[in-house]
Amino acid sequence: MATDVLAPARQENLHSRIAALVPGLLLLIAVGYAGKFIEQSIAAYTKARHITFPNIEYVLWAIVIGLVIANTIGIPRIFQAGVATYEFWLKAGIVLLGSRFLLGDVLHLGGISLLLVAIAITLSLTFMHIMGCAFRLKPKLTSLLAVGSSICGVSAIIAAKPAIDADDEDASYAIAAILALGAISLFTFPLIGHSLHLSDKAYGLWAGLAVDNTAEATAAGALYSDAAGKVAVLAKTTRNALIGFIVLGYALYWSSRGEAHAVGNKAAFLWSKFPKFVLGFLLISLLATLGFFTKPQLASLANLSRWAFLLTFAGVGLRTSLRELVKQGWRPFAVGAIGEVFIALLTLGLVYGADRYLHL
Amino acid sequence: MTNATSRPRLALSLDVYAVALALTLAFLVRLNLLPPVKW
Repeated sequence: MATDVLAPARQENLHSRIAALVPGLLLLIAVGYAGKFIEQSIAAYTKARHITFPNIEYVLWAIVIGLVIANTIGIPRIFQAGVATYEFWLKAGIVLLGSRFLLGDVLHLGGISLLLVAIAITLSLTFMHIMGCAFRLKPKLTSLLAVGSSICGVSAIIAAKPAIDADDEDASYAIAAILALGAISLFTFPLIGHSLHLSDKAYGLWAGLAVDNTAEATAAGALYSDAAGKVAVLAKTTRNALIGFIVLGYALYWSSRGEAHAVGNKAAFLWSKFPKFVLGFLLISLLATLGFFTKPQLASLANLSRWAFLLTFAGVGLRTSLRELVKQGWRPFAVGAIGEVFIALLTLGLVYGADRYLHL
Repeated sequence: MTNATSRPRLALSLDVYAVALALTLAFLVRLNLLPPVKW
């Protein structure tokens, strides 16, 4: 009886929540499509007039348009819920991108990536803790920054925050620093990659290992080339898969010090933190490997993934508030920035070495 | 503590919904129920 009474109210609530997403979704589509339109218009114009001009991908246009809107007129409240869905589109896009990887490729690159990821994570966690102590940051803020910069940015911080009972303020600091540095890496990584003449594979691996947030890592890879974008997603996905173990480690550390709630069932904890979209990615990749899809169908799936990423990149720009980042103060940002430069150089060295000796 | 319990659940459902949407689209494409998607 109670269910009968509550059902229409719940349904109405669901409808209103879905309706609240529509304006922001339309904004994501408009910004993303504007980026695509600008890229195509410039390409058509320069081709028609035989002008040599580097192709600037829609990724960059979408992010820049989003950044300009967010930091000039701002995002009115009505759009915010829909714009926040950009992570959802990122994850759906990554799952669909699995159709472009045969499982053999995933396992081959995964092996090398896993080794590089393990080395990079260990060294970057250690370095971030040293930096946190040197700059006298709060220990939990240091933990969040270390998790965010070594594993996978915002998702890792959001996963770690309740696990170690960190403050909202600390999480906001860490997220702001990671997002700011991610935005900077979008512009610097392709420049460095081109100046070092990195191959698509080496660059993609570097972007996937060094850029923290999945959306920015995907964008940084795609800005270099389509092939580099694929490798960046794969390397980043490998990194993301380790999130549960690192968060579990921190949760056990803080609970042993009596500053976080105890972890009961460790397997359940790991499963709750494991990014499920990695499994979806592997499933689609397995289906593609088994010949479940025809070639035109694979092309359709790849294009669907591009459309999902289009919304993601628009969201990355729209969600980056330069004003908020300035407000956060310089110390967490300094620790994050020094750590990021260290991790970027370290992973660049690792990728260079792996490319030379293991022939990526 | 409210945050501690609600945040992971939100993250979980986002992942699961994203995977569900992607798999649904993949099967619609496989069964030719979606027209070819252009870029």
